[in-house]
Amino acid sequence: MGYTMAEKILARVSGQDAVRAGDEVLAKPDFVIAYDFPGYTDVIFKQMEEDFGIDKVAEPDRYALFIDHMVPATTTREEELHQLTRDWGAKNNVPVYERKGIGHQVAAELGYATPGAFVVHFDGHISQLGTFGTLAIGVRRHLLEAFVKERIKFKVPETTRIDLTGRLQPGVTARDVFHHIVRVLGPRGCRGHVMELGGDTIDNMSLEGRQSINCLAMFTGAITALMNPDEKALAYMKDRARLDIEPLFSDPDAPYAARHEIDVSKLEPIVVVPPSPADTRDLSEVAGTEVHVGYLGSCASGRVEDLEIAADVLEGHRVKDGFQLNVIPTSKEIMEIAAERGIITRLINAGAFISSSSCDYCFGRMGVMRAGQRAVSTGTLNVRGRMGSPDSEIYIVNAAAVAAAAIEGRITDPRPYLKR
Amino acid sequence: MALQNLRGRVAWIFMDEDFDVDQIVGVKNIKIKDPVELGKLAMRAEDPEFADKVRPGDLLVGNHNFGYGHPHYPPMIGMRQLGIGGVIAESFSPGYWRGEIAMGFPQVACPGVLAAVSRWDEIEIDWADNTFHNHTTGKTLPIEPLSDGDRLMLEAGGLVGYLHARDKEEATK
Repeated sequence: MGYTMAEKILARVSGQDAVRAGDEVLAKPDFVIAYDFPGYTDVIFKQMEEDFGIDKVAEPDRYALFIDHMVPATTTREEELHQLTRDWGAKNNVPVYERKGIGHQVAAELGYATPGAFVVHFDGHISQLGTFGTLAIGVRRHLLEAFVKERIKFKVPETTRIDLTGRLQPGVTARDVFHHIVRVLGPRGCRGHVMELGGDTIDNMSLEGRQSINCLAMFTGAITALMNPDEKALAYMKDRARLDIEPLFSDPDAPYAARHEIDVSKLEPIVVVPPSPADTRDLSEVAGTEVHVGYLGSCASGRVEDLEIAADVLEGHRVKDGFQLNVIPTSKEIMEIAAERGIITRLINAGAFISSSSCDYCFGRMGVMRAGQRAVSTGTLNVRGRMGSPDSEIYIVNAAAVAAAAIEGRITDPRPYLKR
Repeated sequence: MALQNLRGRVAWIFMDEDFDVDQIVGVKNIKIKDPVELGKLAMRAEDPEFADKVRPGDLLVGNHNFGYGHPHYPPMIGMRQLGIGGVIAESFSPGYWRGEIAMGFPQVACPGVLAAVSRWDEIEIDWADNTFHNHTTGKTLPIEPLSDGDRLMLEAGGLVGYLHARDKEEATK
């Protein structure tokens, strides 16, 4: 019997010939990544020194820090936190990436998503590095272990395989596909497992779309997502990968805990209705709902194709008076590409408010809603209070549907705007 | 060091599947850090006298995928402040589980537990033979054994203690 990618990667980083799901290993992460956030990095730095007497990390190239939340700072305390991070990075020779974009995206751009690598972060959305065949796990506070020990104790997870088949209709995006997976399998469909995706829909999908899906794996209960790296993924990483290691692939006879096949050819644009990230419905069910704010961005969405489809929807239209459309490209690199292609200009002309890349619109630090306001959003999450008042509401939709709602001030099917 | 059995009354039963723990203190209170204040807020919306009724060692019972969503730490900081000794659920959301185990807060997966308890029953988790006992009804169920890593972490009282224990272990090798 063969092995899953997750098993192969964890065998390599734990120095064993083979491991199986359920085995507990001491694994050496190839990369340890974090963004600075109060209660995480500041506490880790303090604990390293005070509780463990560790002055410096042993292999600084294995670590990477991002400053992507609280950018730009709005209080002195935030700027002090950033300075602590910069100082710690300088002292440890650990790179600190600032104002480059949302770390989970920039980590791919900078080659931390080396195919076959094992990466840990405290934040679960790092799962999107699975697009490139990188096993990337959000371990929450356990990240401290990776800062004070070379190896972390880790239980080899089982893998649930999902094959997606069929061609997506125009106006239906990767974002709709992910939430449809949650609708079909439920919020614990992959609980505790690696969600491994494949099938012709994935084969034909852009890397950006795959990143969008893999980013959100946690809402199926999965601990991360993986895809066998294909030519597209390997080509992207060819000159970016930071490690010279062989990519790893699941064997055809790998032991999956479960296998599912989902046909997405008839899928329509979806909406995830507040306040649960699991309440996926067809957008048509809530069409007409008045909305006041639109957020296009986040580590899940906000890439070139998201910006482009929004510009296409808005072409020849204007954002409705009084509607707040905030567009935040996921990274500086993405913003540059979108600018070169004229997409940014088209969005500005239509009335979008565009900011440089930052995580801050996704978690209610910027673009905050008051009680009674309602947003359409491509952010990661729609739980109460995520974008401001606990009495505001967030409807998760794809980028095209954010743009369509911005024109009409109500949730609406974006597809008619794309037929020209 | 063996893990001490959990024994106490069922202080609350969370019937919802995929329960979002932020609701324990309410989303609008999720940024509060003071454990005493969090303790007073715990379950107040459902039972205003919850904090007064709870005794040290009492336990919580949950349904499937307990902790789903985007769990924050303050709700269970409040519960621990009241003396809650752990959570026993049908199953857990992995992110929540990992976060609370790192805090040294026992979490027990016990399929069938929901049908085996009523509020205020006296229950016990026996780690030695991996069983759940309801002393009020006499009902017994198997629990899912902890992984070695999780067990060591609970024995050490959380992540920092666990890492110190590993320091010692590595020093003696």
